[in-house]
Amino acid sequence: MLSLLGGIFMGWSLGANDASNIFGTSVASRMIKFWTAAVLASVFVILGALISGQAGIETLQGLTSFDLPQAIVASVAAALSVSIMTLAGWPVSSSQAVVGAILGIGILNSQINVSGLGKVLLCWFTTPLGGAVITIILYKFIAFFYNRIQISLFGADRLLKIGFILFGSYSAYALGANNVANVTAVFVGAGKLTVFQAALIGGLSIAFGILTFSRPVMETVGKKLVELDPFSALMVSISLGITIHIYTIIGVPVSSSQAIIGGVLGIGIIKGTNTVSIKTLKSIFLGWFLTPVVACVLAILISFISYLKYTGP
Amino acid sequence: MFKFFFKKENRVEELIYSYLENLNLIYDNFEKAISCCVQKPFCEEFDFQKRQTHKYESKADDIIDEINNLMYSKVLIPDSREDIMNLLLAIDKIPGHLEVVLSIIKYQHFIIPENAVSEMLELIKISLDSCKIMSKQITCFIKKEKGQREFLNKIDRYESHCDHIEKNLIQKVFNSEIDPFVKLQLKELILHMGDISDQADRVSKLINILSLKRRV
Repeated sequence: MLSLLGGIFMGWSLGANDASNIFGTSVASRMIKFWTAAVLASVFVILGALISGQAGIETLQGLTSFDLPQAIVASVAAALSVSIMTLAGWPVSSSQAVVGAILGIGILNSQINVSGLGKVLLCWFTTPLGGAVITIILYKFIAFFYNRIQISLFGADRLLKIGFILFGSYSAYALGANNVANVTAVFVGAGKLTVFQAALIGGLSIAFGILTFSRPVMETVGKKLVELDPFSALMVSISLGITIHIYTIIGVPVSSSQAIIGGVLGIGIIKGTNTVSIKTLKSIFLGWFLTPVVACVLAILISFISYLKYTGP
Repeated sequence: MFKFFFKKENRVEELIYSYLENLNLIYDNFEKAISCCVQKPFCEEFDFQKRQTHKYESKADDIIDEINNLMYSKVLIPDSREDIMNLLLAIDKIPGHLEVVLSIIKYQHFIIPENAVSEMLELIKISLDSCKIMSKQITCFIKKEKGQREFLNKIDRYESHCDHIEKNLIQKVFNSEIDPFVKLQLKELILHMGDISDQADRVSKLINILSLKRRV
């Protein structure tokens, strides 16, 4: 169990941070109570991990070959890089941290699955793009009907609230299915866990993060998205779920934060306004570049340190 | 659909409709009070109708307070909450204007001069008509029914007409030979009467903006 601690910590911090992308808007604006959101998110994250988490786990464990000490090093390096980047105030993606750490191990083993890595990199690049495109299509399609149906102000209000709960739960399912690989895939590669055990432990640790530490993040991060009108916020929420679900089917863990930024950008394109500042975009690109690099360097460093032996004076 | 889960929202909806019904009672009593004032100044019936207007105005305040309390308990999504509160704040100024008109008449022992009666009654009638159309426009906005633009145009026309009557009346008052103090009193009363249709027009335009804002 001790050997899994790095992964569990990774899952906990992923749950604490990424739940805000799913229910942040609804909780920050008091549309849904925090505990309702947290319980729904936790349940659906675990379900997503158990039912659809396998593809992502197989992709990550196939990037290189591990033994158990290397899996531990990879998970600790990924968790450390997420913590360092969060403390430094840089945007961070746990998926990129884990892949960076695996890459570090791969460099040490001189064995990297290049086609697998290429697929992962391509998916990272297309995540915000996909989020934007899906949001634009969804918005145009649903707005066409929404403007034409005769639904009272209160009816529309109820519909939006139900939408936030339903699609928030769907996004939580997709997040669990997609990101569980970040938490425990390396241990499957090392033969320590079966895919089911990895999905269960990963899902539980993400849920633990949501239940114990997501409230402050939801309330602060969520407020940044409240500036969108409720319909646009719901479209971004649906698009987030669909985007992550698509990458889950492809089998590549991606960043929910980048998917949601893509969605918000999509709304900006529709409305002709700057919903995301150049500064935010710059910091996303910085995160894209820095996160895997920091994790890779840390994995190599920790590996070297773990081989050092005390020889005495 | 799923109404059972939205008890507080349903209550707010009921309260808004009851507020609009209450507004109609205020208009009716105000109209009766003005009619009494013209026919028989300072009669008991005028006092009664003034009290009734005040009673329903207080009831309107109670309804607004209850809606406020529900809003503070985070009922509705923030956008709808803000729209409804802004709308109610704007509508709630109208009963205030009506009460001010009746209070000026009562406490300043005001008798409307004969040569101004017909135009004042017309001003009041058209102002109240625009308020009643405004109530229909609000219902239309809440139910997202068609015809909101027609109501907006009608209220705009009525308001322009009221402005015209208001200016004519003031001109007439200052051209007449009545006591200068009474002229000032009359001017104040006419301006307050004019405020009624002005406010109805403001609310109507606000509804139009809210309804455009809610289109996606």
